[in-house]
Order: sequence, then structure tokens, then C-alpha cells
Amino acid sequence: MHDENKKGRSFADIIRFILQEMKPRGKFLTPFNVISIVVIIAGVIILTVRFIYGLGSVSNLNQEYPWGLWKGFNVITGVAFAGGAYVLTFVVYVMGVEKYHSIVRVTVLNGLLAYIFYAGALILDLGRPWNIINPIIGNDFGYNSVLFLVAWHFMLYMIAEFIEFSPVAAEWLNLEKAKKVLQMLTLGAVIFGITLSSLHQSGLGALFLMAKSKIHPLWYTEFIPLLFLVSSIFAGISMVIFEGTISHRVFREQIGPDGKSSFDQIVFGLAKGAAIAMFVYYFFKLLVFIHEHHWQHIHGFWGFWYLFEIIGLVLVPCFLFAYGARHRIIGVIRIAAILTLIGIIVNRLNISMIAYNWNVVDRYYPSWMEYVVSFTVIFAEIWVFRWIVTRMPVYEKHTKPAMA
Amino acid sequence: MNRRGFLKLAGTVGATLAAKKAKARDNDDEKEEFVGVLTDTTRCIGCRTCEVACAEAHGLPVPDVQNDGALEAERRTSDTQWTVVNRYETDEGDVFVKKQCMHCWQPGCTAACLTNAMYKTHAGPVIWRSDKCMGCRYCMISCPFEIPKFEYDSWNPKIHKCNMCWERLQEGQKPACVDACPTDALMFGRKRELMEVARVRIYNHPQKYVHQVYGEHEVGGTGWLYLSSVPFEQLGFRTDLGTTPYPDYTREFLYAVPVVLFAVPAFLLGLRFLSENEEELEEGESHA
Amino acid sequence: MESYTYVNIFETKGLEYLLLICFLVLFIFLVRYLASPLPAKEQAGKE
Repeated sequence: MHDENKKGRSFADIIRFILQEMKPRGKFLTPFNVISIVVIIAGVIILTVRFIYGLGSVSNLNQEYPWGLWKGFNVITGVAFAGGAYVLTFVVYVMGVEKYHSIVRVTVLNGLLAYIFYAGALILDLGRPWNIINPIIGNDFGYNSVLFLVAWHFMLYMIAEFIEFSPVAAEWLNLEKAKKVLQMLTLGAVIFGITLSSLHQSGLGALFLMAKSKIHPLWYTEFIPLLFLVSSIFAGISMVIFEGTISHRVFREQIGPDGKSSFDQIVFGLAKGAAIAMFVYYFFKLLVFIHEHHWQHIHGFWGFWYLFEIIGLVLVPCFLFAYGARHRIIGVIRIAAILTLIGIIVNRLNISMIAYNWNVVDRYYPSWMEYVVSFTVIFAEIWVFRWIVTRMPVYEKHTKPAMA
Repeated sequence: MNRRGFLKLAGTVGATLAAKKAKARDNDDEKEEFVGVLTDTTRCIGCRTCEVACAEAHGLPVPDVQNDGALEAERRTSDTQWTVVNRYETDEGDVFVKKQCMHCWQPGCTAACLTNAMYKTHAGPVIWRSDKCMGCRYCMISCPFEIPKFEYDSWNPKIHKCNMCWERLQEGQKPACVDACPTDALMFGRKRELMEVARVRIYNHPQKYVHQVYGEHEVGGTGWLYLSSVPFEQLGFRTDLGTTPYPDYTREFLYAVPVVLFAVPAFLLGLRFLSENEEELEEGESHA
Repeated sequence: MESYTYVNIFETKGLEYLLLICFLVLFIFLVRYLASPLPAKEQAGKE
């Protein structure tokens, strides 16, 4: 049946199909749509002002705080949240654990979109964004820079993620041959992608190694890259749990009842993994604490804030994950995932903004316009995510080719 | 001619020669010793002529030195001021300190720059090249002295910092601030020679100077050197920066990058083969 | 760091190894805890 259709299909048909799919579906005036559209319009206006009058016209960035919310939250935290893609592709494609196969597609999609939009946020933050091609075309190759490594890895990883996701798009367009070819590339893309991830997740931490004189001693350590890498594992897992929980409500039709029960089993497995990763991370933190004689800094606000982060937002969710996994209570795991995500936000913002230049009198607080732009990026990503999920066979159960 | 006068003369001659040599174009193959500036804070009278000379040399707004009362508060360099003079009240009375880029031997900013827009010339000055910069501001994160400054109010922003008058050095001249200084508080020359001058001054006046040259070892050594009559903490200097060059903090991480790229893909492929074999075995058993 | 006085840069090494032993012991407990989902079936049955 499909074959007959396929013979008569031309490139123009595919374009027509894509254009037809561009149309919105379902109820339009939902609360989410209304709020997100208002925010996105405001964000676009703010960004127009920013590109005409400079960064200072919309943000509170200054000479003491060159990196603010857009880099600290959207780029550095967002990339940590996208860590689920490399963790799951490792488990499924390298270790061959089939149990998690059903959520690989959606996780890879999330990872791909996170990189597209968060690398996009990086462009918004650049003073001279038209020069972004310089490190790629060799004007000059600043290979002495950690940021050079991170920039290249972002770009290469996006390509790898796109290859990993492309069979889904091929399936959507009913391009069987292309899908087969693209699937052959998957393992290569996965292995390359995991390697790149391990390097740029830690690389984002290594960016701050040269901020030694500025970051509060409780947060500065030569182990920042390793801590960023390990924390990206449970940040990614927590995001998969969090995002999956929401998706199972919103995209119920795509997923179906079978997907629901298998997802619970997946969550228990993921929770175990997160508990172990967080336990190891906590002891890394303790090792640094001892090695760097940090007990002398445990006083006042910073001591409290540090303890709150590593106990309240690492150790507590670690135990909640373990408890939830052992007693099979999904609610506890969800709370643990949310606490972990908050912990990652706090940790990344501590290093990039809060404990950065901690002794400066005029502290940096993001302006409301910076928040609006941050949410614009997130909402725009959700819109694209929703568009793809409701059209392409992202959730395993939705196997019927859309274009027939 | 007393000893001090001789040294001063020798220093000036050395400096002129150094400037002549720096004129030789910045050539990658050429091994030449770095130039720098020695600031003797005991000689500075806070006239801020250097600020005026700097602003004039680089087309920046010229400060109204007589009337702006800028010495009242501690200032930092900015996107309109590449150098500033601050007054500090110390045990030895008021001390004036000129502040600008330190022109590190191994600068954090140039190691941070992913386009080499921030560039350590082989003659010593650290310069910024506008055609390469993408405005990521990582140099500002990485500078231990917080010197690079960004134009936040421009659609096409520049990074501002002292470039030791690189364009003047290439013409065989000395930096504008050094030429302008009426009290010889600033001395231009090769760092090796400046260190000798500094040590001789301390040796001849052990009561007058603290026995340290700021910049000799700080963050691996800087091109700009300071002499002082009071401990440097009292003059707004950071004395907790250590002697490790800042790029050294990222060197090991960057060294590990190719190691990871060699090892991890092979390791992952190995794991993949191992888990595949297991499946095949199971399949074989079930078929049998 | 100036080299005029006694400084032991390996001062905390003993403590670090103690921490390691603590970690290994606690890690065994954690893994055993996670590996034995005792009331699993009861809970799953109820849902």
C-alpha cells in the first residue's frame, strides 16, 4: 500500500507534505500557548533592542560580571540538563540494554533541541556574533582555549545528535531507504557523541579553571571539570524523569497505556543510576573539601549556602532516589528529580554568577528582560519539541507512518 | 655622577635601545626578550599626566585632571580609560599607584581567547585585534587582574585594555605614559634589565622599599613591574594570586582532550562488542 | 608560596584515604540497598 504511494512521490510532494505539517494542530488558545506567545513576543522585542543598542541596554551585565543569566543558565545549566542523551545512548546502543529503548528517541530529540537552542542562546550573548565563524574558519584557531574546544564540540555534537535522530525524521517522511542508510550511521554517531559529551560537559567546567581568583574557594577546585561531568549524568537522568512525567500527561495519545507502565519501570532503573552517580559525586565533593582545607570557609552565608547545596540538593535527593527505587514509589523519585534539577541550577549558577566575584560590592542580579529572554529560549524550544513529537514517530508506539 | 644617576641614565639608554629593537616587526621565529615597564610608586606624585597621554594616544576621552576629583575614590580601568591612577592612604602617607594591563608572561586572556583576538606579541605587549573578536568575554573571566573591559552600550562592542602602546613601539617610540611621566616613576625597557634596576634600588634603599618587586613572579611573571614603600596589599594589589601562570590551570585539561578522543571511542566500541557477543550466545542457546 | 618555612603539601592525604575507606564501606551498603527491592511486589500489586 505504502509502496504504491512511494513510487509516485517526488521531492515536491515531500516539500508539500512538510508545509502541510507546519500547520498547528489541536486547540490553540491553551494557557501554555497564551503565556508562551506573550513571552516570546516580548523576548523578540528585547532582543531587537539588544542587537541595536548593545548588551547593556537590556541586561545588567557589567565589567565585574561578564557572564550572566544567559550563559550561566541557558548555556551551562541547559547543556547539563541535556546530558540524558549521552547517558541513555550509552546504555541502549553500547551496553545493549533494551529496557530503555522506548525513551531513547525522545531523549535524543530533547538533547538535539537543547543544543540547538542553548547554543543559540550563546549567540544572543556574544558581543560580535557575526564573528562566531572565526574559530571554525581559522581566523584564528585559538586551540589554546577551552572555549575553542567547547565551541567545536557543540557543533560536532549537534551533527552527531542530528544523525542519531534522523531515522525518525526519515520514518516520518516515509523514506525507507534513507532510514536504513541513516540507521547504519547510528552506532558511529552514538560513540562519537558520547565521547564529545564527556569532553564538553567537563569542558564547560574547565572554562572556569582560570577564574581561580574570582570564584569563592568553596566552589573553586581543579576538579571542576570532573564534577561537571559526573553531575551531568544525574542532571540528565533527572531531566529524563522530569520531562517524561510531563510528556506522559501532555502527549498521552502518542504514548498509549503500554508506554505508561513500561515508563514506570524505566524510572525505577534510572533512579538507581542517579542515586549511585550522586553518591559518588557527593564523595568527590567531600574529597575536595578535605584536600583544599575547606572547613576554614564553613561560616557565614557562604558556608551555609555551600552546605545547603551539597546536602540539601545532592545528598537528600540521592537518598530519595534510592528510597524511591527500593520501595517503588514513583512520587518520591519525582521529588528527587526536581530537587536534583534545582541543585544543578544552583551549582552551575554558583560557579558562573553567585559565588563568582562573591566579594564584589555591587552584585549582579539579572534584569527582568534577561529573565524574559531566558524563558523565550525555553518556550521556543518547547514549541519545536511539541511540533516534532505530535508529527514524527518519537514515541515508540506511534509506528504508523504519517505520510502515506 | 652618583650611582643612582648612572643607573637612571643606563636605564634610559637601555629603554631607548629596547624600543628600537621592538620596532622589528612581530616575528614568530625571532626570539627576543620581552619589554615591560617598571613603576616606582615612591616617585609617583599622582599628577595623572599618564592618563591624559594614554587617552590622547588611543583616541579616548581625555580626563579633566585638574577638576574631576577622580583621586577621591578607588577606580578601575574601564572601556574609556586604559589606565587609572589611584591614591591610597598608607602608613607611609599617600601613595599613588598607576593601574593598567600587567602584560603577563603567560596571559590568561590570550589562553582564553578562542580566536586569538587577544594576542601575546613576541615583543611582550598583549594586544587585542578587533577583526577576530566575537565578544564572548571569556578573556574577562580569565584575567586575574580583571583588566579587559567591554563596551556594553554598543551594537559592535570592542574590548578595551592597555596595549603598551604597541603601535608606538613598532615605530621605535616608548609607551605614551612613560614618555609623559614628569617624575620618571615609569621606566620602559627589557624586563631583565628592569628587574636589575629594581633590585639595585631596593639594595641601595633597603629602608625605603619593601623587598619585593610585584610582577617578578606573580602569575608566572608580568611585563609591568612595581616597586613600593608599603606592603602591596595596602595598595590594592592582589597578593593571593600565586606564581602559577593562569593558562597552566587549563593546560592539563586540554592535554587530556586528545587522550579522551583516542581512548573513549575504542573503549565504547569494545563494550559494544562485548555486549553483542553475549546476545549472540544467548540467541544461539535458544535456537539450540 | 615562599620556600622559607615548613609546609607539608600532603597534609590531608591521610584523611583523604580515610574518606575513601568510608566511601567504599557505605557504597557497599548503598548497592546492597538498591539491589534488594524487598517490598517491590507488594507495592506494585497495590497499584
